[in-house]
Amino acid sequence: MPENRKEIMKLLADFGTIGMAVAFSIFIGVGIGYFLDNKVFGGRTRPWFTLIFLGVGVAAAFKNLYMMTKRKDL
Amino acid sequence: MEHPILFVSLLLEKLGLPVPHGLVGHTLLEKLVSPHMTYTWLLMLFLIIVPKLTMGSKLTLVPSKSQNFWEVIIGGLEEFMTENMGKDGARMMFPMIATFALYILVANLVGLMPGFMSPTSNLNITLGCTLIVFVTTHILGLKYHGLGYVKHFLGPMPWLIPLMLPIEIVSHLARILSLSIRLFGNIMAKEVLLAILFMLAGAYFAPLPILVLGVLVSVVQAGVFVLLSVIYFSGAMEHAH
Repeated sequence: MPENRKEIMKLLADFGTIGMAVAFSIFIGVGIGYFLDNKVFGGRTRPWFTLIFLGVGVAAAFKNLYMMTKRKDL
Repeated sequence: MEHPILFVSLLLEKLGLPVPHGLVGHTLLEKLVSPHMTYTWLLMLFLIIVPKLTMGSKLTLVPSKSQNFWEVIIGGLEEFMTENMGKDGARMMFPMIATFALYILVANLVGLMPGFMSPTSNLNITLGCTLIVFVTTHILGLKYHGLGYVKHFLGPMPWLIPLMLPIEIVSHLARILSLSIRLFGNIMAKEVLLAILFMLAGAYFAPLPILVLGVLVSVVQAGVFVLLSVIYFSGAMEHAH
């Protein structure tokens, strides 16, 4: 395989995963928050941990995007 | 969704073993003979026996046809890893990555044959592979940086630590999900689509285009899994940014 094609495949695999990274970051955040709310604190803190960790998940997703824009090897 | 005919399951059923009809059985024996387990073992046998048969016991300086084939595969993989991880890292991690590459590639492709199924169309198999990669990443990080590996999770500035620590942990956990669900989703979609098309219009070669696409998806997904694990490993080995 020529060098250029290989490089393109690598970039394709890298950037093809952005969408999944964003979606799953948010899901993991909500999952942690839901677990803390309903299992650890038994529903007494009901919406708050879910909302806070939803924010953390969204922040993680945007951090992934930001790291992609900061790459030096493009 | 169950595959129409799985010949290993049929054989085991004839032997009197309780092959489960759903995805996973209830007792230990049912779990051991469920299709994704038996096909994994079949592939392990395949991957052990076939190179032994084709390559013979000794390597020659001027490679024969079959030795040439394996040298291209193994050499290509090692060259690719050396580009990303450096020579020492590639040497160290090569057995694991090569195992994943060959196993996942063959496991994806075997589902295209009637009578076989892809073990990777079960989330348990892909999650197992992914957890191995995830744990190895952090072991590598600890090995290369010692306790300084924590810096990877703390972000660039000290006053940002309370914000960056949960964010980094969440994005590392998201890797498990995305790596396992991508492989599982692609391969299961291929399997289900093939089964449905075969049931609907198998006599008119309706599954044929999906078979062609299946080859492409299998190769690409095996490549993506290997590529991403190599990137994660090299990310854990280099210095914190």
